[in-house]
Amino acid sequence: MSFDQNAFLIILTGSLIAISCGLLGVFMMLRKMAMTGDAISHAVLPGIVIGFFVAGSQRGLEVIIGAGILGIIATLIIDWLRKKARVQLDASIGITFTLLFAIGIILINLFAYNVDLDQECVLYGEIAYLPIDLWVTGSGTILGPRITYLAVLNFTLVAGFIYFFFKELTLTSFDESFGSVMGIPSKGINLALMSMVSYTTVSSFEAVGAILVVALLVVPPATAFLWTKNLMPLIKLTTILGIGISILGYYLAYLFDSSIAGMMVTVAGVLFLLSALIKGRSSKSAGTSMANI
Amino acid sequence: MDNFVYFFTFQDLSILYVVIGIILLGIGSAYVGTYSFLDKKALLGDAISHAVLPGICLGFILAGEKNPVYIVTGAFISGGIATFLTSWLKKNTKLSEDAIIASILSVFFGFGIVLLTVIQKSGNPEMAGLNHFIFGNAIAILEEDLWIYGGLAVIIILSLTIFQKEFSLLVFNSDYGKAIGYPMEIIRFAFNVLMILSVVIGIQAIGVVLMAALLITPGAAARFWTDNLSKLLLLAALFAVVSGIAGTYISFVLPQMPTGPWVVVSLSFIALISFLFAPKKGTITRYFSRNQYLKKTNNEHLLKALYKNRELGQRMLTIENIYELYPYQKKEIKHSIEFLFKEGLILKNQNFISLTDYGIHEAKRVVRLHRLWETYLTEYMNIAPDHVHDSAEKLEHIITPELEAQLEKRLNFPQLDPHQENIPRD
Amino acid sequence: MIIQAESPVLEIHDMTVSYDQSPVLWNIDFTLPSGQLIGILGPNGAGKSTLIKAIMGLVNPTGGYVKVFDKPLEEVRSRISYVPQRESVDWNFPASVLDVVMMGTYGKLGLFKRPGKREKEVALASLDQVGMSAFINRQISELSGGQQQRVFIARALAQDADLYLMDEPFAGVDIATEAAIFELLKKMALEGKTVVVVHHDIYSAMTYFDWMIMLNLHLVASGPKNQVVTEELLRKTYGGKLNLLSKVSELVRKQDFNPLEH
Ligand SMILES: Nc1ncnc2c1ncn2[C@@H]1O[C@H](COP(=O)(O)OP(=O)(O)O)[C@@H](O)[C@H]1O
Ligand SMILES: [Mg+2]
Repeated sequence: MSFDQNAFLIILTGSLIAISCGLLGVFMMLRKMAMTGDAISHAVLPGIVIGFFVAGSQRGLEVIIGAGILGIIATLIIDWLRKKARVQLDASIGITFTLLFAIGIILINLFAYNVDLDQECVLYGEIAYLPIDLWVTGSGTILGPRITYLAVLNFTLVAGFIYFFFKELTLTSFDESFGSVMGIPSKGINLALMSMVSYTTVSSFEAVGAILVVALLVVPPATAFLWTKNLMPLIKLTTILGIGISILGYYLAYLFDSSIAGMMVTVAGVLFLLSALIKGRSSKSAGTSMANI
Repeated sequence: MDNFVYFFTFQDLSILYVVIGIILLGIGSAYVGTYSFLDKKALLGDAISHAVLPGICLGFILAGEKNPVYIVTGAFISGGIATFLTSWLKKNTKLSEDAIIASILSVFFGFGIVLLTVIQKSGNPEMAGLNHFIFGNAIAILEEDLWIYGGLAVIIILSLTIFQKEFSLLVFNSDYGKAIGYPMEIIRFAFNVLMILSVVIGIQAIGVVLMAALLITPGAAARFWTDNLSKLLLLAALFAVVSGIAGTYISFVLPQMPTGPWVVVSLSFIALISFLFAPKKGTITRYFSRNQYLKKTNNEHLLKALYKNRELGQRMLTIENIYELYPYQKKEIKHSIEFLFKEGLILKNQNFISLTDYGIHEAKRVVRLHRLWETYLTEYMNIAPDHVHDSAEKLEHIITPELEAQLEKRLNFPQLDPHQENIPRD
Repeated sequence: MIIQAESPVLEIHDMTVSYDQSPVLWNIDFTLPSGQLIGILGPNGAGKSTLIKAIMGLVNPTGGYVKVFDKPLEEVRSRISYVPQRESVDWNFPASVLDVVMMGTYGKLGLFKRPGKREKEVALASLDQVGMSAFINRQISELSGGQQQRVFIARALAQDADLYLMDEPFAGVDIATEAAIFELLKKMALEGKTVVVVHHDIYSAMTYFDWMIMLNLHLVASGPKNQVVTEELLRKTYGGKLNLLSKVSELVRKQDFNPLEH
């Protein structure tokens, strides 16, 4: 097979998105906030739709801002329900994301006649169209696929965030109260992480869809966690898995003529279940028997 | 308005079917959901409802059309696999529950999307109907669907009603149940089956993405109104049914609107009302009763000030004197004076304020509680006499007559408080 | 019996703490001397952990205040170290023993700076002090309960503080290790550090500590051990909760909001 530029671009973009999600997902998982990540990725929908309506297109900055705001609003509502209304955490998450997602769907149906917003694209994404969606400057120069640029920017910001706040993220994930005792602003770190997750969700939704972002957020870190004992190997393996599922997902989708994003998630799921089968019982029993020494 | 009358008079039999379906569905899922909410497993319902998508698609592919039997069976099987995997992973890996649920949910949904695109490209004309399963369309419920979905809902409702004792044992005290010889594993299994069934019957009307709301929100909202399990279940069912009908009506009037989102919005609205206004637990209610309480404390503090002055031999105070005592609370004090006057606790003579007999009685009560509590704190809790005032200042307003009697008895009807002040009695 | 310390390192003034609607600590008021080993005793649910959390600013008191080194907490954070209860974290966290102990140095490092050679040396020295040098690369879930406890103590040591607050550091630790750790704490006290330890066993407490705090929702006693550990005060500490106090707590819980908060 000769070098296929389109395949390369799609796989590159898919990998960048999967890595960005996975890096944030590692910390979401370690904080036991995987379901909050799920809630955020559902909850950004109304933000996307409103941004879309204001901007008149899927490309506007308004879309990213709208979704970012909604993501943060979602975490604030969950917090409000839990602390002020005293609803238990799992129910707070469930109530918040279903409501925001429902509003998003209603808005899509209201605006669908006015603007060209494709419900399926928002929800499931279509990375396959990436090579024909080009970024063209005012003077007509073609710079390349727009979504790839978005993915590169997103990846840079996520990697930078994790690099600069690595120490704080790790400490507050392991032992939040020890972090606060040492004067680390754990609330601020938490809010920053949630904002990065919302931003990543938005930045990726055109490619993989708002709902499937969750899969990339949780499944690679969970798989990698089954194989590793330390944070650096966990992060590295998550990265490798991100690249692996993009490559496999692309070719399998090509083979079966189906959604690339869906296939990436399916591959991730198969790897996850295989890992659980292989490492499952053994890792757990090793852990407990060692602890009894 | 015409629409409204047409809808609610059920002239159209198909509307009647839909409404019956929604009612049964609402009761069934609210029942199951309330139990799983109390069990703190609310999000498992979310995982199951996303996880039925591949089953629906496979059922569709096998049947080649939107056959409810195939689809329900497919959904049930894939929901079952997801539930099994969730508990297997919990038992056999070091992953935490939320990571497992999120993984299962998104993987199954992703695989469902793959199947959906495969069906889409196959060009099957019934494909459009399949999309209804994602966001729900109650209006599309037909008589044949009703028999299946309604029948399953009735099974769920009956099982949960008949075995209420067993299932509440599961939720509240599983270990105890085991100890007294109940087969808790079987009960848990039966409950999981009911949970999957309740998701399966909801997918047509509400859709897989939002089905979680019908499981979680009614129970969470009803929890604000009552602590009694039976009432909780009834109220949750009522909330679900009302929102179900509201959502159906909207998608009847606006045919392009899917039902699920509107059901969820109405449910969330009911929940919001509950969170804010439910008696005792609502946030706004709590805010108002706190204000009420603060007013009461102001009134009682004023009574106390007048009484203490009396102890010093001064029968009345001018309003200015009182303002000087509470320099930052002028407005509150003004309200208190008016209130106490209206209640006949104080007399106003031009600028002078004094206690009535009834006022003296009340003031004595508050001062007595204050000084009794101070005495208790120093004698039984070793707290220095100069530190007991603040605590007594707060508790004097809530101590009940029974507690007062117990304090008196425990302290052996003391005459003096730790500051050598007299404890007044009538 | 409450004996006040001269020139105290820690002063708690008339502090009341509630969780939502339930008052847990009532009017706590004491001072602690410096350079001593101090034990906190009390039955389960007496509020010992809550007391430590309130001192560290992890829960907000509904009344009263805490002063450390005669200053508000915020100004002296870096001089206080904390060893939480072992169950408060998930030991499956992907970190090695060394990683966890290094965390003790993060407070002094400040934002954006990464731990380097110096921090690693501090961590290794702390591990050496608790006798865990042989385990530096172990994953923390593969340690026994006592070893995990020692890792937490090493993390606190790495912080190099003047006041140490430890919540049940001896829970699940075998006797030999307990004695070894205690020697270490005694050495720290001799160097002028103040070490406050929540402890569950009265008998070993009598040999370990210089000063005792006895707690059962309210402060029963605080002072040098031979003055405060009396049969009567022990009975007050362990002889069940005060009946009336429980009833008042119940009354507070029944309100629609917490009347102790103003
Ligand atoms: N986060 C919390 N929320 C509500 N109640 C709590 C919380 N933590 C502790 N409690 C309650 O406060 C009381 C004191 O707890 P704690 O300070 O942990 O006691 P101890 O450490 O002495 O065993 C207990 O009754 C406990 O149930
Ligand atoms: Mg404790």
